[in-house]
Amino acid sequence: MASFASSLRHIKCHRQLTKGSWQPQLALRSRPVSKVDIRQLSTTEITSPPTDPVSQISIPFQNVNHARQVPKSPSYFSREPRFNDLHLKLFNLLSKYHDLPTLKPADAPQIPWLKLELVRHQLGEDIKASQFSQVMRIARRLNLIEPSVRPPAIDIALRFLSRSVDSVTTFRKVKLVDKHGRAVGVGKRKSSTARAFVVEGTGEVFINGKPLNEAFGRIHDRESAIWALTSTQRMDKYNVWAIVRGGGTTGQAEAMTMAVADGLVAHEPALKTALRAAGCITRDPRTVERKKHGQLKARKGPAWVKR
Amino acid sequence: MASAHSLRSFMRPTVSTTPRSLARAFTTTPLQSAAQGKSSLPPQKQVQVSKKHKKPLVRAKAPNPGERKAFRKRIQLSNNSALEVQGTEDLQPDTMLKSEHAGKMFSIPNDMQDKLRTLEAFKTTQSWNLFRKPHILVRQDLVDLMNKLEAAKGNQEALRLVLTGTKLSGKSHALLQAMLYGMMNNWVVINIPEAQDLTNGNTEYTPVPETSDPYEFIQPVYCYKLLTSIYDANKSVLEGLKLQKDWSATTQQKGAGSLADLIQSAREPDWAWPTFMALWQELQLPGRPPVLFALDGLSHINKKSDYRDPEFNPVHAHDLVLVRTFVDALSGKTKLPNGGAVIAATSGNNRQLQPSQELVLSQLEAGQKGDEVPKPDPYEKGYDERVYDALKNSTVMRLEALSKADARVLMEYWGASGMLRRKIDQHTVWSDWALSGHGIVGELERTSLLTIKM
Repeated sequence: MASFASSLRHIKCHRQLTKGSWQPQLALRSRPVSKVDIRQLSTTEITSPPTDPVSQISIPFQNVNHARQVPKSPSYFSREPRFNDLHLKLFNLLSKYHDLPTLKPADAPQIPWLKLELVRHQLGEDIKASQFSQVMRIARRLNLIEPSVRPPAIDIALRFLSRSVDSVTTFRKVKLVDKHGRAVGVGKRKSSTARAFVVEGTGEVFINGKPLNEAFGRIHDRESAIWALTSTQRMDKYNVWAIVRGGGTTGQAEAMTMAVADGLVAHEPALKTALRAAGCITRDPRTVERKKHGQLKARKGPAWVKR
Repeated sequence: MASAHSLRSFMRPTVSTTPRSLARAFTTTPLQSAAQGKSSLPPQKQVQVSKKHKKPLVRAKAPNPGERKAFRKRIQLSNNSALEVQGTEDLQPDTMLKSEHAGKMFSIPNDMQDKLRTLEAFKTTQSWNLFRKPHILVRQDLVDLMNKLEAAKGNQEALRLVLTGTKLSGKSHALLQAMLYGMMNNWVVINIPEAQDLTNGNTEYTPVPETSDPYEFIQPVYCYKLLTSIYDANKSVLEGLKLQKDWSATTQQKGAGSLADLIQSAREPDWAWPTFMALWQELQLPGRPPVLFALDGLSHINKKSDYRDPEFNPVHAHDLVLVRTFVDALSGKTKLPNGGAVIAATSGNNRQLQPSQELVLSQLEAGQKGDEVPKPDPYEKGYDERVYDALKNSTVMRLEALSKADARVLMEYWGASGMLRRKIDQHTVWSDWALSGHGIVGELERTSLLTIKM
């Protein structure tokens, strides 16, 4: 039994069976090889084996350009082949079309660009952030090319780096003023959250039912809380009634800034740019850093002990 | 194992390994000159200057006893760096009675400034020191108060009032304006500027003879100080009032004289209390001018004081006879037949937790508005009947915040004095009005006057 298994051992490797032989006449002797089983070694088609037995004897390596498999893309042996191809494609496009007239960055068509994480996920490659930013720089430059003279190849290439439009429209919620004239804005800072009900009025502000001087002791905090209104000179046109929870006084005051700005944008969308410049739109991402194990605090290590 | 020290000795020999004789043999100096150059004396040790030896520390001169307190309590009513404000008028006796003057700034006349200063009506926390001349804003609610004072004079009946309001809402300032009105209209004004001075145990006290259970106490030094301030502030009025009774039995005033003479007769604190009582009774005789008795910091006299009686029980503040005099006037036990007013102001910051006082005041306020009267908290034990009796007959006046128009007048005055450099327009006024908690006057001062904004 053992001898039988050992005699068949060479068949165990399927590759041996399916592999195209360099000497077809030997293969034919054992078993006729079907066309499907022949692995293509080069881009050229292998001619079907001639029926004429004389012509069966052929000179080896005829019509074979490469002695091994050659990938389609030269990037095959790099770390991120698909991403490299994309990079090259965009780069070539830019070098070809860089003479075309361009727009100012503010006037360029808005494209919801893919984020790095999504591109990594789509391509299945671990793309470096620095290289991604290089590609994005080229893509943004291509997007500046005047749309009327832009060749379709650029649009096709850029489409790969953009999200579908549906996801954009569903992502951006438009705040509205309700039937009572209220706009509810939400804001966060550190661990505080604020909801501000902004209505048209005469400049009265209540925070958790208290006027500003009782809600915040520091003048600076009071100013932060209504900064969205003062920076846009709208203090005399709106009333604010806010609920603030969590965190300390600074966090609560700055959460109020965001919330009031959010509500104000619902009333006057044109103010958004001014409010962004005043720092009322962007959420401040700084929070308390977590404690690490083996450390006393986030960064503080234990004191050195000799033994 | 060799210690670290012993190993180190191999690395760097402490004693020179070179033999001395060998070192001397290598010299190139001739023997004679070498001998001449060398001093025969042994080498002197270098004199080391001690680093510990320092110059004596010269300290700045320490302030003399009492100087620090005087600096802290100093009232500065004028500032030459501030600009003079044009176009404001001096207050006249009837200025604060007229509604058309509401929402305007008026300056305090010079003679009144001195009198108010002796009464200690100005507080250190008020920012008088930032302006060339003290001015006041006549508010509508204070016009109403002055009209009540005027009515009290006409009715020959005392106005008994408690001023309340949130922190920094101008209660002490309203008291000052009432005193100003009284003095300009020839009232006799008596002021206890800080009620806590009477009850925090910092002034001397002696029991009233033949009292026990409860003991009553005189505060002679404080009484003497009070008499002095009454004399300084009301001298012109008191000099015109002749004594109607003979007080030679109890005071040092022998024979006839004016009320000013009566006060002057108390040359020592020991005579202060009988003299004060004599003055107080003389002022209630017919034909006398109206009296304004004011006190700031009401919650300090509605509690047990820091004094102890001979049995070491805490003394209730109402058992201090000076406080008792005020409380009797406030409760209506002492009528003021010539008219007048008894005004007590609560304090927002220097405040004691006084459930009984809070309850009475809230009940009075609700009663005045016609709201439901709050009931005492069933879980609270410390309600004081004496506080209730002291306050039940008074009226509560809550000082409201400034309107936007009033806030603007005040800010324009600050701007005219050069203290507020910003442009004053509707936007600035409204935003500062909001920042100050909808026009709390002290908060407005904090946000715009005392905060530098670039």
